[in-house]
Formats: sequence, structure tokens, C-alpha cells
Amino acid sequence: MTLARRLLAVLSLITASSAGAEATHYPLTMMNCGRDIHVDAAPERTVTVGQSATEILYALGLADRVVGTSVWFTPVLPEFREANTDIERIADNDPSFEAVVNRRPDIVTAQYEWHIGPTGSVATRDQFQDLGINTYIMPADCDTKNNATGGDGTRTAAFSTDSVYKGIHELATIFDANDAGDELIDELKDREENAISRAESLSLPDDISAVFWFSSPDGSSDPYVAGRLGAPGYMMDKLGIQNVIQSNEEWPTVGWETIARSDPDLIVIATMDRRRYAADSVETKRDFLRHDPVASQMSAVQNGHIIEMDAHAMSATMRTIFGLETLVDALSGMSFAR
Amino acid sequence: MARISVSHSAWHWGWLAPLLLFAAVMAGTAIGETAIPFDTILKVLANHLGGTAFAVDRIDAGIVWEYRLSRAILAACCGAGLALAGVVLQALLRNPLADPFLMGISAGASTGAVSVAILGVGAGTLTLSLGAFAGAGLAFGLVVLLAHAAGSGTGGGRATQAAGAIILAGIAGSQLFNALTALIIAKSASAEQARGIMFWLMGNLSGVRWSDVALGLPAALAGLAICLWYRRALDAFTFGADSAASLGIPVRRVRGVLIAAMALVTAAMVSMVGAIGFVGLVIPHAMRFLVGSRHTRLLPASALAGAVFLIGADVLSRTLVAGQVLPIGVVTALIGAPAFALILIRGARTQ
Repeated sequence: MTLARRLLAVLSLITASSAGAEATHYPLTMMNCGRDIHVDAAPERTVTVGQSATEILYALGLADRVVGTSVWFTPVLPEFREANTDIERIADNDPSFEAVVNRRPDIVTAQYEWHIGPTGSVATRDQFQDLGINTYIMPADCDTKNNATGGDGTRTAAFSTDSVYKGIHELATIFDANDAGDELIDELKDREENAISRAESLSLPDDISAVFWFSSPDGSSDPYVAGRLGAPGYMMDKLGIQNVIQSNEEWPTVGWETIARSDPDLIVIATMDRRRYAADSVETKRDFLRHDPVASQMSAVQNGHIIEMDAHAMSATMRTIFGLETLVDALSGMSFAR
Repeated sequence: MARISVSHSAWHWGWLAPLLLFAAVMAGTAIGETAIPFDTILKVLANHLGGTAFAVDRIDAGIVWEYRLSRAILAACCGAGLALAGVVLQALLRNPLADPFLMGISAGASTGAVSVAILGVGAGTLTLSLGAFAGAGLAFGLVVLLAHAAGSGTGGGRATQAAGAIILAGIAGSQLFNALTALIIAKSASAEQARGIMFWLMGNLSGVRWSDVALGLPAALAGLAICLWYRRALDAFTFGADSAASLGIPVRRVRGVLIAAMALVTAAMVSMVGAIGFVGLVIPHAMRFLVGSRHTRLLPASALAGAVFLIGADVLSRTLVAGQVLPIGVVTALIGAPAFALILIRGARTQ
């Protein structure tokens, strides 16, 4: 490389960084969850199916392009409360195909493949494509995951926040909001690294173990707990915590007998607004742990090592990183005598 | 009625039956999701029952005593209760297909549970079990009202008419409540909820504790006592309500008491463990082949067989697939149906 060329290269790097990321070139072709999507121009109207996609679009400053939302688990993040107020919530859970289509979206952005996918409960991607509507599914739900196994799907390899960053980057590209995308990714990466290094400074024991309890269908019946490869698995992996649940299922049902015998050091319980199952509420979960004759004998219960975490953070979303922070905050106030 | 020669085996039942039940409860206590050494299990049982003080891990002790033993005993109660209900309904309605679920009880229970779980009716205050119990009661009430309305218009031979009407009303009720359940699930359930509900609809003993036994055991024992009290009336009903009436049995009252008692027993069982099919329909038939159709023998034999069968099915549901618990309704049908087929074929050959 000649000196002139080298200078030119350095110069172009400087201009690129000072002018921010490049604008998106349309038409754009992108591989998304096993299928090519073609975007002719930056979408003006999108309907979101899933809170994760909704919040990422808000974070990218694209709230004005969101013409309808659906599938909410928890209240919107406080910083987006204002942006969210004027946006119609089509349904708390699955919207109907026609309700989505009626909003005349250019693209539908979904959090889960089981809403929009091969057997999507809202519709298949082809059904939207037939009407000229693009679909985008958050890669966190299909990279390293097989959704053909029914239920909440099965992880084929460990979830990593890379798939969240990939989703943010791709959405930013589709909507031509590349600067905002880079900024958001940088900020999240900072928070993630920060949390991990804070955890390292706590010098936790090597053999610390945990279970993540989402909910239970009824009272004392087998609870839904986190498998080893989902978002909670990622958190535990990053902090050197062992998941006592060995399943690859996203949310397997595991009996209290198995959980109690594995006697985890930590129990992370999900907080949510939903009130459909008895154990959706944190109080019910705590009450069970206090009073069940066997579960109350677990060391985590006896030592008060119960951590509350936003249910949405336990899904593979941007909030997973906030969940990591919640976990580190809680751990910093605990002692693990061995 | 088909019947295998039982003269020699009748004598054995007296000591074989309690032994079988004891062995089944022990198996239900010894076998579970995780492996606990058998001597640990004996020590825990001795500590609780014999006042010994063996040193046992407190979680192991809790699992054996609080989870598994209560679960085995409740499984026995449910199996016995459902089988008794089957015997009684088959005798009263003179219909070999009659079982507790025919009367819309299980369908109603499912609708009640789904209403709580998905629609959020009374959620927070009502548990799935209470929802199921309410649904079962509501469905049963509707079926009886419908049967009454349909049966009361007829003139002579009212008793027989009413027996037929209640079967038809039960079918109508079941269809209605099954449709409502499907509607609610289709309309608003997420994958997670649908999975939780489907699991429950097929039966599930995972949440059983002693507090459930406190309801299940009296329900099963009361059911057995009521049935045995009316054993001669049940014998008479086998030949039809008219013959029973001619023998001086107050047909309406006896039928009312028995049906209400069995509906309550079934609703109580379903509300605790979900809808477990097969037991109420098939165990009475199997036992009729083995001990004959006299209710003095048929009732205790069916209760015992139902109890042992459901404990066995529960153990299998926990161990058939490693690391996963199958709905017990799947196991009762998968294991029970072929076994019943064998009994049918053998029964036909020995006739």
C-alpha cells in the first residue's frame, strides 16, 4: 500500500466516523430467520407483534413509524412511556391477522416466530407477503433456536446478546436509522461489560447455582423454569453461575422434587403484570417458597437469596442486559459462606 | 354378565387387596423424578410413622413424605373415586358406556379451569382447582336440569326414560362445555398458556400435597361408604329401574343421592388432579370380568383396582420419559386401553 493510499484510507475512516454510519442503500435484501426479505424503501408504517421489537424501535427513535403494537408482557420501559401513549395497542396478546393488516403496515416486526412464522398464530410470513407486507422476526428468537418443537421452542445452542445486537443493527438498517442503531448497541454493550466486570469484582464462589422461576400453572404444580440455553442461561454463564436445570427447552416444566434436590444457591423469580396463573405474582411465588414443606428447606430460601427480575428480561430481548444488571445488583448485597 | 370362575380367588382377595394397595403406595413413594435410596425412604417413613429419629437429609425427607406419599395416596383416592363413580353410573343408567365424564363433569371442570387461567375470571382469588370445581358443579347442574326437563314430560315408564335422558343430556352438556373450552383457548391463549392448560386437561398430579389428601381421602371414603350402603339397590338397578321399584326401592331418591354423591366425588377429584379419563369407564368393566357384577364385591374391587391403577399410572407418568412428566391421562389410556383389550379377549374366550 502506498503512503498516499494509506493516508486516504485513514482519512476515509475519520470522515466515516465523524459523519456517523452510512445511510442504507435501497433496495435492500436481507436474510431474516431463514428467509430473504426485500425492502424497497425505509418503511413508513410498522405494526409490532411483541414488546421486544416495539421497545427497540422506540429506542431507535422510530416511534412515529409504529402504527400499532401487540403482545405486551410488562409495562413499557419508563423512558418510552411518553412515546408509547399515542400508539394504538391492537391487542395485549396475539392480534388477529386482519387487525394487523388493517393498519396498512409496510413491515410487521415480530418478537416470536410462533406469532409470525411457519405455524404462526397470527399468520405465516407468506400470508403477509401475499399482501405485499414484509415481515421481520427478531433474530434472538430464531438464531440458535428451533421453534418447530412446539411450545416455547428449543434452543440448539446458547443464546447470546449478539443476536439482540444483530436485531437492533438490522432494524436500524431497514429503517435507515444507522446512527441510532450504532449508538444503542454501543450503550448496551457498555452496560453489559460493566455489569460483568462488577460481578467479577464480587469474587463469587465458583460453584454457585441458580434456578429462574417464571410462573406455575397452578399453586404447587410443576413450575416453568428457565432452560440452560436461553436468556437466563446467558446471564448465569456470564456471571459464572450454574443453572440447576439442564434442559435445552426454553421454558421446561420441572417438578419441585427435582429443583429442591438440586438445592440452588439462588432463586430468581419473575415479576410481571400478567395475572393468569396463580404463580404470576411475586407474592404468590414468595409465599410458596416460604410455606411449602420441601421448597422452604432449600438453602436459597433459608438464606433469603431470592431475586426478583422483570419477566421480560428473562426473554431473549434488549432487557436481558438490564436483567444482568439486576442480578449483579442483587448479588453484590449477598454473602455466600462456604 | 361375563364372569371368570372366581370361587378360589374370592378367598384370596381378603388379604391380597390391602397388600396390593400397600405395595402400590410404597412404589409411588419410592419412585420419582430423582433417585432416592430405598433405605432413605424406609428411614423417612419410620421417622414419621414409628417415631424413630434416623438422620436423613431434610430435603430428601420432605420429598418422600410431603410430595411422594401424599401424591400416591391422593392418586389412590382419585382412582378409587373415579372407578366407583363409573360402577354406580353404569348400574343406574344401565349403560355400559356410562362414566363420570359422560355427565359433563369433566368438560365443565375444564371450562372452569380455562376460564380462570385464560379469561382471568376471578383470577387471583380463584385457583385453577376452584375454577374447575365450580365449572364441574355448574355443568352437572345444567345436565341434571336438562335431563329433568326432558324426562318429566313423559308419562309411563318414567324411570327408564329419565335414565336415557340423562345420558343424552350429559352428551349435550359435554359437547357444549368442550366447545366453550376450545373457544376460550383458540381465542386468547398464548403458547405457554395453551401448554399449561392442555397439560391440565389431560390430568396432572404434580402439585399434590397433604392438603389435597385432606379433601380427597374423605371424599373417596364417603363415596365408598355411600355406594356400599346402597349395594343391594345397585344390584336391583342392574335389572332396570322398574324392577328396582317393584322391589320396593325408592328409585328417585336413591338415584338422586347416588348420582349427586358421585358427581361431587368426581368434581372434587377433577378439581385437584385434572381430567383423567379411562378409569371410570374401564375399571368397572375389568372388575366385572374378574369378580362378577354383584356390587358387594364389585364396589370394593373397583375401588381397589382404580386406586392401584392410578398410582401405577402416576409412577409411569413420572418415569416413562426421563426428565419429563407426561400427563397422566396419556398414560392411563396408553397402558390401560391395551390391558383392557386383553381382559376383553380373555373374558370372551373363557365364556
